[in-house]
Amino acid sequence: MRAETRGRPGKGGLGVGRVWLLALRDLRLEVRDRAGVLSALTFLAVMLFVMALALGPEEGALRRAAPGVLWVALAFLATLLSTRAFALEVEDATLDDLLLTPGGKEWVYFGKLLFQMLLLLPLSALALFLAAGLFYLPLEKALTLFLTLALGGLGYASVATFYAGLLARLRGREVLLPLLLFSLVVPVVLAGVRATVGLLEGFPVAEVASWWQLLLVFDLVYLTAGALLFPLVMEG
Amino acid sequence: MLKAAHPERPDALTWAFLGLGVLLLPVGFYLALSAPPDVNQGYLARIMYLHVPGAWLGYLAFFVTFLYSLLYLFRQDPRYDRVAMASAEIGLVFMGLALVTGMLWARPTWGVYWTWEPRLTTTAILFAVYVGYFLLRGAIEDPELRAKAAAAVGVLGFINVPISYMSVKWWRSLHQTQSIDLTTGKIHMDPAMLQALLFNLLVFTLLYLGFVRFRALVAALEARKEEA
Repeated sequence: MRAETRGRPGKGGLGVGRVWLLALRDLRLEVRDRAGVLSALTFLAVMLFVMALALGPEEGALRRAAPGVLWVALAFLATLLSTRAFALEVEDATLDDLLLTPGGKEWVYFGKLLFQMLLLLPLSALALFLAAGLFYLPLEKALTLFLTLALGGLGYASVATFYAGLLARLRGREVLLPLLLFSLVVPVVLAGVRATVGLLEGFPVAEVASWWQLLLVFDLVYLTAGALLFPLVMEG
Repeated sequence: MLKAAHPERPDALTWAFLGLGVLLLPVGFYLALSAPPDVNQGYLARIMYLHVPGAWLGYLAFFVTFLYSLLYLFRQDPRYDRVAMASAEIGLVFMGLALVTGMLWARPTWGVYWTWEPRLTTTAILFAVYVGYFLLRGAIEDPELRAKAAAAVGVLGFINVPISYMSVKWWRSLHQTQSIDLTTGKIHMDPAMLQALLFNLLVFTLLYLGFVRFRALVAALEARKEEA
């Protein structure tokens, strides 16, 4: 337990340092292992490819389907990553050690969430480029599109982290997680798809911005609910 | 809705709710069938005497699940969990009834079984969430963890209702010009129709209360059997 104090350079009671420490440790493990990141990456590429094959080859149809496909791919990817976030912890039976660390349990939630976002952000940028190639997505708006994906990804991951933690010790979690998750995050996907469509079809900025606001509100609600409920269900 | 320490059989209140509900059900049915037909929809409007109470009680039941899930999370008393579970189960039945009758009504009225109207979509999402709730309960064997996990889903699922409604409303408003207002024709209601509707609502509420108390008792007996 002594090592843990190193990662907590007196940044108040929240333990922001701990959160970063946990996220970076997970990231390092994930990068060293390679299998996890590589499989996520391959999954993303293959999925976009298959979707393009299924919906193509007309340019118009592909272009119209792009926002939906992008968000579905992102949703699957985030589910995959959230399972990864707790898989090693359970394999090595270290989850209890983490939860027993004095000073609340919220930081475990935020650490796992941060780890997912650190992986999800580059991967969603990559997804944008892949979609640009396969779905004729215009890249002029890549930055605003990326912002939309980041906002939606955060909302998605905040619910996914909570559920993945909850289900971490259960058998059959791979089936249960998407089942519980997808019905709950419909609002995020809807708002995300609409914002993306708005950007691609050149709607006025005010209209897209209102979707961003909505996404931001969802993020805050889910993040707060997840952080509040996580310690309650992870006890013991 | 909580009971004494170790009840063996339903108490007087449960029997009263159930008995009154079952007794009054034919009366409600009679009132529904004798209410005047709607000017625009004719006899079809009578499906509302089943549909509206079903939907209202579905939402009420999930709200009760939300409340008792919160209580469970803070107090850790298994009785709260049993009431939450019972209410969710009854709510799923009522909500399913509302969905099916709604579809049967929509086909001759709108020409389609389903439309992506905010209220419909939100209800469908809610239904899916509580189906997940029971799948989750079925997957966990440890009673304490099961209760905690279910409570979390019960809370998150209900918080999600206004969020879904808002997002679907906006989603629809962008591209769809045709919009169907469910409330048309129902605000100006004939007193006889309103009476029949309110009476049926009362009957369904009585049945709901009786069912929940009954189901919670059955769950308590099951839990005791599991422990023994």
